[in-house]
Amino acid sequence: MRREAIAWERAAEVNAAARGWRRAGAIDDATHRRIREAFPDPCVTPGAVWRVLTGAMVAAIVLCTLAAMALSVWRSATQLQVVLLVWGAACLVATEALEASPRSARRGAAGATSVLGVGLFLLGSGLTLVETVGLRDDDAIDVLLVAAVLTCGLAAWRWGGPLFAGLAAGALLCGLARLPQGRLLWLLAGAALTGAAAGRLDDGRLAPSHRLGAAVLTVLGIGAVYAAANVYSLDEGVLEHLARLAPSRESLPRGARLAAGAATALLPPAVLAWGLGSRRTFLLDTGIVLLALSVLTLRHYVQVAPLWVVLTLSGALLVILALAVERALRRARAGEFAGYTAEPLFSDERRQQALQVLPVVAAFAPEARAPGPDPGFAGEGGRFGGGGAQEKF
Amino acid sequence: MAHGGAPGSRDVNRDVVRAIGRLRADGVLSAGQADLFDRVARRGLVSVRFEIRALLYAGVLLVTSGVGVLVAQHHQEIGPVAVATGLLLAAAICLLWVARRGAPFSWGEVPSPSVAFDYVLLLGLLLLAAALAYGEVQFTVLGPRWAHHLLIVAAAYLLAAYRWDSRTALGLALTTLAAWRGLSISLVPAATLGPGVAADLRASAIALGALYAGAAALSARLGRKAHFEEVFANAGLVLLLGGLLSGVLEDYRAWTLWLGALLVVAGGVMAVAFRLGRSLYFAAGLVAAYVALVRVLFEPFRYGRHADSIPLLLAALLGAAVLGVIFWAHRRMRDR
Repeated sequence: MRREAIAWERAAEVNAAARGWRRAGAIDDATHRRIREAFPDPCVTPGAVWRVLTGAMVAAIVLCTLAAMALSVWRSATQLQVVLLVWGAACLVATEALEASPRSARRGAAGATSVLGVGLFLLGSGLTLVETVGLRDDDAIDVLLVAAVLTCGLAAWRWGGPLFAGLAAGALLCGLARLPQGRLLWLLAGAALTGAAAGRLDDGRLAPSHRLGAAVLTVLGIGAVYAAANVYSLDEGVLEHLARLAPSRESLPRGARLAAGAATALLPPAVLAWGLGSRRTFLLDTGIVLLALSVLTLRHYVQVAPLWVVLTLSGALLVILALAVERALRRARAGEFAGYTAEPLFSDERRQQALQVLPVVAAFAPEARAPGPDPGFAGEGGRFGGGGAQEKF
Repeated sequence: MAHGGAPGSRDVNRDVVRAIGRLRADGVLSAGQADLFDRVARRGLVSVRFEIRALLYAGVLLVTSGVGVLVAQHHQEIGPVAVATGLLLAAAICLLWVARRGAPFSWGEVPSPSVAFDYVLLLGLLLLAAALAYGEVQFTVLGPRWAHHLLIVAAAYLLAAYRWDSRTALGLALTTLAAWRGLSISLVPAATLGPGVAADLRASAIALGALYAGAAALSARLGRKAHFEEVFANAGLVLLLGGLLSGVLEDYRAWTLWLGALLVVAGGVMAVAFRLGRSLYFAAGLVAAYVALVRVLFEPFRYGRHADSIPLLLAALLGAAVLGVIFWAHRRMRDR
């Protein structure tokens, strides 16, 4: 990343923290103003809506011009590849120019051009490999995955986007899954990724967005280890389906299933313990998700109770657990226990509450009744909605 | 100074930690302020409020799914009366808990007494809705007008939203009311405002959208639950602009009329949004107008040699103009 861009990001971090302090009423307007003056952030940083709108419109412009050009000059596959590569390169150059100016670096346009640039470059490269160079599909996929790792890795290093860090790691893992012993490679690569990235999470020499990228890589590394070690994934050969050659089920080492079972049981609590010990909430969240996946795996193999009992009981347990944690933290001395609190601290509570409407409405809104004239009561075919359940009677 | 940072870690958010040190030395922050901020920046004190909310949400999702599976798979063994009574009882327990814990009614914004409050209310309302739906299916109280039970459910959600000041309940009320009219405004729509939309559905969407937008304006103007304005307005704009846009894209005989109506409404929405400083409303109006105008650009080139490339270039030019509008509006609007 450019030295100036890192400095802008650092100032933005301080300003974001100061906004949180002001929102929580921990500082007054005058103090907030003095902090902004002490750490001036020269970048124009619109709100999320403006950034998304700008990014979407830039994407529309780029794609419309690309489509128009491709339709006009499309006389051979080579011309299409050239157009894609030229447009990709143009987007990357545009990103570089946009990122250089504090007036345009954070408006959403640079994000759109960087994603489009990398995407178009990879698409053009893929078509070139298959149609011009004449590589077989499998070979082209391998080369393309290597290109994706390099391109996304470079983009993450140059522009600091955590999305690119995640895409590079995803491409790397996909590439490893295609090799012989892909599962073992996932275990090793996941562990290595976690170890390397976790060590940089607090590295003050890194730009804030690179530290965020390290967090993304840590989560992906843990996810890769879990996916490789999960007993259901082993039994179903989930990773082996990605391999170049058909999976061979006989080559499973003895004791592998037992080890996978143990890993399925032990990894989530280990990640939770790591999260609790280091007080990193993203590790706690990862641990919770892995725990849920392990419970689902257990339910797949051990059906101790009917589905409705499992669902209702686990839901009730979650609610009780959440209530107990919240109550314990609220009643603890000064509202905190072992460095944890249920208070929002300096986060934007009002914004979080407004945003929580979306997933709730998405999950629980009833299905629209069939359009047209009222069909009348359908008896046994009626639908049971509104309770989150969509089962037919 | 003892920072009480995260165990086994070096400085955490170094940029903020360094800044706090400098601000303290410069006298911008008091010692008390700096100590607290420093502790949070070093992860010496961490909030798990989001995690508690996520657990509660997942819990409610699982419980309602479990109840749904139970009723669907075993309702004949249990018996309809027992199922309906059980659901009503469970809903009543949740709602009684909410009623006991809830703050007195106010037309202003009322903070939740606890993190769990909203989720127990949600669980109670969903169970009540399930009981009403189940009762209607089994006992056919409304007869051929069975779909009207959605109206009753929406009314219950709306009452709860106002009584206990819940945006979530209001969101459910608005989507349920839309579902009663055959419309979906959830994040994964059931293609109700997509291709092939029926004229009566379009009319319902526009009418309901206008109603919601009116409710948003009234909420803000009268100061009656003014913070509900965003929920009303966003749902209303999705329906209103979506309905008009479906007319532009789907009604081949009268699309120009729909276009005129859409441009007038979108322009009005953008003007009001600009005046009030609401970026999301402005974006909704702008996107709807852009999509409608792209339709106009493609119309003269439906047939011909450059049927595809010229309108695409024009759409790109239009996009550039829209980008100019975005930059202009962002510079001048209050909500930035």
